[in-house]
Amino acid sequence: MNASVNSGGVVETPARRPFKMPVEAGIFLVLVAIALAFEALGWMVRGESFLGNSQRLVIIVLQVSIIGLLAIGVTQVIITSGVDLSSGSVLALSAMVAASLAQTSDNARAVFPMLTDLPAVVPVIAGVLVGALAGVVNGGLVAVTGIPPFIATLGMMVTARGLARYYTHGQPISRLSEDFTWIGAGATPVIVFLVTALIFHVALRYTRYGKFTYAIGANAQAARVSGINIGRHLIVVYGIAGLLAGLGGVMTAARSATGQAGMGMGYELDAIAAVVIGGTSLTGGVGRITGTVIGTVILGVMTSGFTFVGIDAYVQDIVKGLIIVAAVTADQYRMRRRKKA
Amino acid sequence: MKRPHLKHLLAACSAAMVMMSASAYATTIGVSMAYFDDNFLNTLRQAMADQAKSMPGVKIQFEDARGDTGRQLSQVQNFVAQKVDAIIINTTDSSATGRMSQIVSAAGIPLVYVNRKPAEDTLPEKVVFVGSDENVSGTLEAEELAKQLNYKGNVAIMMGELATNAAELRTKGVEKVVAKYPGMKIVQKQTANFLRAQALDLMNNWIVSGEKIDAVAANNDEMAIGAILALQQAGVSPKKVLVGGIDATADALAEMQDGNLAVTVFQDAKGQGRGALESAVKLSKGEKVEKNVMVPFQLVTKDNYKQFMGN
Repeated sequence: MNASVNSGGVVETPARRPFKMPVEAGIFLVLVAIALAFEALGWMVRGESFLGNSQRLVIIVLQVSIIGLLAIGVTQVIITSGVDLSSGSVLALSAMVAASLAQTSDNARAVFPMLTDLPAVVPVIAGVLVGALAGVVNGGLVAVTGIPPFIATLGMMVTARGLARYYTHGQPISRLSEDFTWIGAGATPVIVFLVTALIFHVALRYTRYGKFTYAIGANAQAARVSGINIGRHLIVVYGIAGLLAGLGGVMTAARSATGQAGMGMGYELDAIAAVVIGGTSLTGGVGRITGTVIGTVILGVMTSGFTFVGIDAYVQDIVKGLIIVAAVTADQYRMRRRKKA
Repeated sequence: MKRPHLKHLLAACSAAMVMMSASAYATTIGVSMAYFDDNFLNTLRQAMADQAKSMPGVKIQFEDARGDTGRQLSQVQNFVAQKVDAIIINTTDSSATGRMSQIVSAAGIPLVYVNRKPAEDTLPEKVVFVGSDENVSGTLEAEELAKQLNYKGNVAIMMGELATNAAELRTKGVEKVVAKYPGMKIVQKQTANFLRAQALDLMNNWIVSGEKIDAVAANNDEMAIGAILALQQAGVSPKKVLVGGIDATADALAEMQDGNLAVTVFQDAKGQGRGALESAVKLSKGEKVEKNVMVPFQLVTKDNYKQFMGN
């Protein structure tokens, strides 16, 4: 448990305690258990190993890397006791903008016929900036108008999806330059995901940015009294979440070599699921990126595992739902025990 | 803002609306689409919009049901209340059309179902279907794949959204063809919801499962392209695993040009869109229209794909 903030919300140095299991240990055991279950099923159903295939291990993470990127941003928002429902739609909008600037000139129906064959850095930056802008708007709405984060980001979820559709009137954007699609090819998304996770893990644990984030989520009143500019900090946190959704959009467009307004549909909920499974509390003030990474990988193991043993897609959703509920139940139980102690 | 002010504004607005509708001698047609942002349905919608532009006096209003049957029903009810001259529905759910047919025909308004076939056995008067026979598309795709495989090999089926008629019938079509040839076998059958990104992940999982797959028969082109991307990234040649799709979208034809897509099936979105609008206008004028207007599917391979480009 990150002990840098006590229940009063006053920032202090972590107290030395007798050895205690980190919170992630529990969820890590869940991950191992699920993986081993598929390992056993694999030998039973198909007579081969599930985990003993390095290519599969990469794919497990690869297919959830983009959800993971969103989840890293959402983790930080949830730690401030907010929520971000807009990440999937912002991803779509960023993917559209990035794709529209990554087209090759041999395309007769380019969105911007004058802006083709640009270096890949242009669509990347444009996509990321669009995401960051959407995030800043989210943060501004929450900080300035005091609209609950649920409503503010719900508004952005609908608006960003609408903008993504409006951008080309629903037309998909294809024929993207190889310089651009290279960014999403192979295992690159995995690297981007893990590096991003590392950066924000450090930022949350060892910097003032992190301390403020936890302090606001634990007790906003106390944080204000101790001199934190809450509004400004929230704008930064939501801005980062938007930026990561934008990066997710860039990666999605590059990976599937197209921009489509329907991309990232429902990703916001997968991202929130990964965060919650990873032990971040929806009441704010508690949570870690490491937990979110494990939560994300659990989603990936389930997807690959079900395909591996050949189970129906509907059953997959049912089990996913059950695991989310189980994780939150465990979280509640843990919180209650902690309060008693 | 003071109250009376708002009232005046409202009065002015409604007066303007009355004037607008009074001056509209036009035929107004309400269209409810299952999705706006589906690649294929988008072409269909565009075809209807283009056709409307070429018919003087025809005004067309589109609504997006976003895959929700309830939303589609209220859109249709709104069209009825608005007293449009005809309604075109691209249904979200083939089995949920009964209620809509009932409401629309009770109001005496002509109704055209487009692309997705209603499940009703007999359609009421002034209700028709314009579309293609989905039993054919999967069969065409699989027959061509079988031919290119020399009638032997393992086939994996990528299914679309499981609740849709298209996914069901296209998959059945492929299964029937494969069952015909003793050298062929279906080794995988999973859904990627008609989506490219999901198909990419599914194909990746199939590749690492180590199963020998000689052909992938996808329910649509977007998934076929997802499979191709996964194969390319895994360094597998498109000659080794044949990939087939349905729809003949512009992206798919480009993949065929590059030699990555073995077969696709052209579903005539423009023909369907044009047909639907023409039928709706004819019905609204009281003219007779065929109950089932069938727009044929066409097989597309490397021999004839060029004629579908720029379509």
